[in-house]
Amino acid sequence: MKCFLIASESAEVLFYWTDLEFHQNIQEKYGASQEEGHELPAFEDSISTLFAPIIISFSTMLSQGDSYTSFTTENNHNYVLCQFDECLYIAVNGDGEEKEEDLRRKIYVMKKMTEVLFGLVTLSGNLLRKELRAQDTEQRVRLWKHLQSLLETYSHLRENDQSFLVEAVERLIHPTLCEQCIEFLERRLVQQLNSSAERAGEEVLHAFILVHTKLLAFYSSRNASTLITSDLLALIIMAQNMYPSNIDVDDPSPESFYTPEPSPTDKDSKKPLRGNAPVFEFVDPDIQMAEDSLSTLEICPPDPSTPHRVFLEVSQKDVVYPMMPHSMYCLPLWPGITLVLLTKIPSSVVAMSVYTFLEAFTKLERRLNEGQGGSARGQPMHEVRSKLDKFIKTLALSGIQSSQLENVWTKFKNRAFSRGGLGFSKELIPWCKEMKIQLCGIYRQCFLSDPGPADTPQRLSPSLQERAQTMVQEKLMDWKDFLLVKSKRNITMVSYPPSETDFPGLIHFICVDRSCGQMIAPSLSITERTTSELGKGPVAQYIKSKVWNLVSITRHYLQKGYSTLTLRDGDFYFCYFLWFENETGFKLDTKEIPALPDDSSPIGMLALDYYRKLLRYYSKNHQGEPVKCYELLTVHLGVIPTEIILQHCRQLASKLWEPSRNPLL
Amino acid sequence: MTEGHLGAFVSVMAELLAPDSRMCNYFFLYDGSKVRGEADPTREGICYFYPEETPLDKQELLCGQLAGVGRCVSELSSSPARTLRLRRNKFAIRMKDDFFWALGCSVDVPTVSMCEFLDQLIDLFCFYNGPVRQSYQLNSQESLAAQWARYLSHLQSGSSELSHIFSCLRTIDSTNVDPLLLLKAALILQACQRCPLVLAGCILFRGRVVSTQMSPGLTMKVMVHESETYTKAQKPNGTSTSSSFSGTVSSTTVFLTMPELQYLQFAPVNKGFRYSPSTPQRDTPSKKTRLSRTLSDTPSTDSDVTNPSSSQHPQKVSFSPHLSESDVFSPAPSHGAADSLNPQSPQLLRPSLSNGEHPLEGEAEERPSGSSHNSTGGRTQIQSEGDGSVFEENFHLNGGDGDEACEMVFDFRAAESGNEQLRDDKVVEEDRRDSCGSASGHKAGKSNPPPPPHLPDTLVENPLIPMTLYMHRVNGLVLALLVEPHFMSDATSMEEVYHSSLASLNGLEAHLRTISPGASPAAQGAPGPYTFAHFDCIQSTLTTNLSGQSGGARDHPFVRATSLLHSHFCNTETLQEAIIRSASTAVYGTRSVAQETYFQQNGGSLRNSGIPNHQDSAFSLPSKARHRLLKHGVNLL
Repeated sequence: MKCFLIASESAEVLFYWTDLEFHQNIQEKYGASQEEGHELPAFEDSISTLFAPIIISFSTMLSQGDSYTSFTTENNHNYVLCQFDECLYIAVNGDGEEKEEDLRRKIYVMKKMTEVLFGLVTLSGNLLRKELRAQDTEQRVRLWKHLQSLLETYSHLRENDQSFLVEAVERLIHPTLCEQCIEFLERRLVQQLNSSAERAGEEVLHAFILVHTKLLAFYSSRNASTLITSDLLALIIMAQNMYPSNIDVDDPSPESFYTPEPSPTDKDSKKPLRGNAPVFEFVDPDIQMAEDSLSTLEICPPDPSTPHRVFLEVSQKDVVYPMMPHSMYCLPLWPGITLVLLTKIPSSVVAMSVYTFLEAFTKLERRLNEGQGGSARGQPMHEVRSKLDKFIKTLALSGIQSSQLENVWTKFKNRAFSRGGLGFSKELIPWCKEMKIQLCGIYRQCFLSDPGPADTPQRLSPSLQERAQTMVQEKLMDWKDFLLVKSKRNITMVSYPPSETDFPGLIHFICVDRSCGQMIAPSLSITERTTSELGKGPVAQYIKSKVWNLVSITRHYLQKGYSTLTLRDGDFYFCYFLWFENETGFKLDTKEIPALPDDSSPIGMLALDYYRKLLRYYSKNHQGEPVKCYELLTVHLGVIPTEIILQHCRQLASKLWEPSRNPLL
Repeated sequence: MTEGHLGAFVSVMAELLAPDSRMCNYFFLYDGSKVRGEADPTREGICYFYPEETPLDKQELLCGQLAGVGRCVSELSSSPARTLRLRRNKFAIRMKDDFFWALGCSVDVPTVSMCEFLDQLIDLFCFYNGPVRQSYQLNSQESLAAQWARYLSHLQSGSSELSHIFSCLRTIDSTNVDPLLLLKAALILQACQRCPLVLAGCILFRGRVVSTQMSPGLTMKVMVHESETYTKAQKPNGTSTSSSFSGTVSSTTVFLTMPELQYLQFAPVNKGFRYSPSTPQRDTPSKKTRLSRTLSDTPSTDSDVTNPSSSQHPQKVSFSPHLSESDVFSPAPSHGAADSLNPQSPQLLRPSLSNGEHPLEGEAEERPSGSSHNSTGGRTQIQSEGDGSVFEENFHLNGGDGDEACEMVFDFRAAESGNEQLRDDKVVEEDRRDSCGSASGHKAGKSNPPPPPHLPDTLVENPLIPMTLYMHRVNGLVLALLVEPHFMSDATSMEEVYHSSLASLNGLEAHLRTISPGASPAAQGAPGPYTFAHFDCIQSTLTTNLSGQSGGARDHPFVRATSLLHSHFCNTETLQEAIIRSASTAVYGTRSVAQETYFQQNGGSLRNSGIPNHQDSAFSLPSKARHRLLKHGVNLL
């Protein structure tokens, strides 16, 4: 029984997702017969009624200075609550499959996905609310279905894919092919695309090829900033959502319920941002009917060649701009193999300006709140003043409706800068907030609103997209079957490390380079027909569940400041190590890792990047020297003597990265 | 009383009341049935709120919000809420009928421990007061509030950092006590059990367990009453400790759950089964014989076993304060509140106990001298001192030959003469209970509520069966017995139990009094080369060399690690051992079905970069723990 809910402070449902069991549970509580065709709004009302007391109590307690973080019940249901700005996220699990930590992670991942989809608009609770809960039912249904399917795709990946378990990118280990592909992307593909006239002002910054969830090749153009791991993982979720791997389609496991099935209409084409999301495999005839009635609402299927608007972090001259607009083109090559192009859009410079101004007003607000004295509070604003004046003029010239922003800005100026005004005092705080809302509004107008039918959609032309697709297909034609198999058995315990005889008793390991967000682990594919060396069935499933559990345990200890852990559990012996090195491989001394509260953001790279913070924290003592952070998890048979196990760990730690140290990111 | 004793008592008091170490930030019981309508104010439903000085609007806020959310969650999940966590506090929740309990702790306290604490608290209440709904119907809210407050303070008493993690019984430091004394205590209990109305018992000394036949949970419950009467007895006169008889025996009605009762009944109480394998053939024929005789049998049996050590009994050297002690004790001031309530009792009872010759209070200080003499003329000692030293003598003489005959003669005599008086004794006892009940709010005994049939709801899930808790106090020592309710009206049984144990209790008390009751000496000193905590899950006892009151430093690395590991052990059945290591500390934890052990090496920095390395000192912890802890009686092999 699972449920996910985003609600406003006034208990208005901004988004929800439930599994079938929860759905039925609620329907039983509210009587099964819902009016045909109005199923969704009615269900939404039920959810809202049920959760309203919790949401309202959350606000009440918050106003008293404390707020709920989680609940449990005697039958082991878990509830996790997080508030971001004015939106309250609630995740519920009643089937024991997700622990509190998993639910909190899910919430943070959904928050991350909204940031990737809505960018800086997420900074304004009011605007985000409007965005998530569109007045237009059809639009709302489409968006919610998209988010629901993203959530399901993520959950599925987290439960089955090691790279989403540890939240690091997994690469296909085939150095020669990888190198060839990178060269191809650089010399042929990106160069050709960027020199084409059909690119409509867009510029390809990053291009990468995914085989299922694994990265075959990644190329970034010279003037592009680094794509951070968090964003890359989010993009892989989006790509998987559009073109789900059929790894376990044949598998009769209960997970198939959560597997998004592409609807037949756009099986072979890309789905646009607000396109119709996969239909759930609902069994309940009532629900099925409702789904049918929903699909009739969709009037015109959006153009498949329309790119996704995604908001990713960009760093320029040491300044980090979060959530800058990009276009994402997801081009399926074959089932399971996808080419992804990320382009910079011409108006992205507006986003940078908006962000700069938002920062300025946020800082000012903070200063005013802290009550720092004198004119110093307003000092940096004089520079902002002239820049913002100029910015508003530019907006007007480019046909963006900026009159409201201009009004508010004028009022702000009158209060802040004029002699008879408020000056830089606390009374100015509401005006800072208002300015931020207006700036977010501009941002929304530029990057999120649907282009009117009259506008020519700004994008790489469909034919250009097609050409790119064909080029890569031709390049990889001979490799495709190999790649599909390889991605499932990327490395195995037999093939890697070099010989199993070096590591008797070693059952599994995961090694992660947190500085570049990459991981290596033997395949644990237990759902495919071919058996891995672990075999199929209960043993493999058991090992898998142990590995998943181990990761969650190590995170818990890491959260409390413990970076080394060994456990004797049943017939197994688990080890976990986190350590730092400099670039030459010299091991650096450990430093006390701060212990965090239980309800802090989850440890990982996909949502808030814990390891990035950890590296920054660690690097304070190693100024000017790049620091690398590694993690190693091993599973051994419990009968192996501890000294041998520790020797294995040491050998693995030193050997693992050697053959694959070619820079891919 | 000597200064040493006073000091010991004061420290017990301080342990009971130490405010900083408390685990619980909030506790409340909210009765949802009183707040049905929209207009009903939340305060109507608040049965008890701790801390009591919390402003009413804050109480209402917490009760209203948490109960509301709890109800909502339990409706969504079709199951009662168990925990509600906030950023700064977390709450263990119990929902039953319309009652809503919440216990709020700091977020550092492990959730398992917090939930356990709440369950203990509620169980305690039910143990002394019966079903909650019923007790709120029969008693005033104020008097029950006093009960909650008492139980809460008891459960938090003696809080060390580790006691927030393990709910453990406080026991006397067995490393500091001659094992023979423990054996003796066990024998007293076994002897009492010969009376078919006695279910099980325990012996406590100054708030610590000496020996118990009950489950740890039940022992803990019994201890509350003990410490309560103990504290009460301490309060009125401040220095008074000498016992007059009226204060020495008391009883109260308690309520056992079905499993608890079954455990007690199906345990081999009947009779002689509990004795060492060498005794049964001796016991079987004597099943119907008088208690006093079987009691006198047992020491001689056991002293065979313990022969070697008893000859060098350490207590023999400890009688130098003999004179001063007797000076303190002889004035015989009243022992606590009961005395003032029932002034005639000393006169009534004294003859029956002291054999008509010696005042009762004389025994306390006579006994040590008796045992110091025993090498020269034990038997005369017995004769002159009366029952007070029967056990004592036997014990020290290692079952020397003619003793048994002597005692038997004596015992029969005592029983004969005691018969009539004990009946009076019982009347007095009941009188006392009546007056006591109304005076101090300890109502359970008085109201004597009828058995559960009135309350179908509790009957279905966990019926509570009324039983009686009998307590016999000898200064700091208490014999607590769970007995069938009609035990108190069965004069013969009472008399038997009383007389058969009195002498031995006196003897035991005299010995224990000379021993520092509290924490082990290891805990007082500077931190040693290692820190450990060993938790016996079966007996719920904790052995540690961690000083109990180390400045309340909640973030003590060892405690923090132990807390994490304990939670982990609780949640993962298959987990056997773990080493966790941060940059500065490494802690090893291991557990079996019966125990959990935590070990940390102090001093000597962990010089390692955290990379996998078998030379890392953290990985030598298991072998170090194995070696080091042997001398603490912890076997990890």
